[in-house]
Amino acid sequence: MNDHSSRVWLARIIPLLLATALLVACSPPEPPQLQQATLLPSPKPVADFNLTSARGEPFTQDNLKGHWTFAFFGYTHCPDVCPTSLAMLARVMDRLKKNPRLDSLPRGLFVSVDPQRDTPATLASYVPYFDPDFTGATGAPEQIMTLTRQLGILYMKTAGNSENDYLIDHSTAIILFDPDGKFHALFNGPHDADKIASDFLLIKDYYEATR
Amino acid sequence: MKQLLFALLLTASTSLAAAGNGLAVEHAWVREAPPGASMMAAYLVIDNPTDQDAMLIGVESPAFSHVMLHRSVTVDGVARMVHQDRIPVPAHGSVTLEPGSYHLMMPAPDTRLVAGDKVGFVLHFADDSSIQVTAEVRKKP
Repeated sequence: MNDHSSRVWLARIIPLLLATALLVACSPPEPPQLQQATLLPSPKPVADFNLTSARGEPFTQDNLKGHWTFAFFGYTHCPDVCPTSLAMLARVMDRLKKNPRLDSLPRGLFVSVDPQRDTPATLASYVPYFDPDFTGATGAPEQIMTLTRQLGILYMKTAGNSENDYLIDHSTAIILFDPDGKFHALFNGPHDADKIASDFLLIKDYYEATR
Repeated sequence: MKQLLFALLLTASTSLAAAGNGLAVEHAWVREAPPGASMMAAYLVIDNPTDQDAMLIGVESPAFSHVMLHRSVTVDGVARMVHQDRIPVPAHGSVTLEPGSYHLMMPAPDTRLVAGDKVGFVLHFADDSSIQVTAEVRKKP
């Protein structure tokens, strides 16, 4: 290739490169490749609900705003799946606490779908066991249903030996609310703390880049 | 001397138990329950090196009023606990009781068990044999 033809070639290729760079810089970022999370096509606003926190204070859709929230739905009489999931969620928090570029941590929320046996006081002793910053909440059956119905969370009592002796089948999905208080993503089991923590960081970056 | 060492090792181990039926139980542990929890779970592995299928039909423990055989099953994202009358241990195989699967379920005793406590269990099998095992209370496996 002589001098002249290489100059012509450069003259052609440079604008092309610049145009490509500009296009890449201006186009919206690609949705992240996630390991465990399912992103909602567009975050879903949460209609009003009214629960009671473990502290006995109202817990409503407004309590989901201003921060990310991981939520899990279960009951304290559940000795296997619920403690396993909450301990896993505490490990997610531990991973995120060690991340220096995270300016604020997401919150953890455990909603009891068993208000017949789980009072706010029960939750006040049960929930902080897993992480002192986790919040517990429960409430009237129709208020719990108002929230869970919007999230696709299912639960149903199974017959027990007596009025107070029953089990509850329940969804194991972990729900992620964004700082607008919207239903943003869900994590179906089996859960892996490392994958959830890394997915969360990607989801947060993508959310911030596309606002 | 070797035999003495082996005997010492056996005594020292809290999670290994062998019985005349040829089965061995290992990795037995009880999950420490959060304050306020009314139910607890225990987990273990039963090895069956024999030629005969074995069947766990019941468990008792001085630490609990009763012990139930349970299995957590998750179908379409919904977890359910299913009471088991028996848990099979195939010949030349094993069964693992672990979080999210087979487990023992017990009502939490009045005095809360905490990590480090030791709990005894007796496992009963369909051939009338039984195995004693000691399980440690732990926060995680």
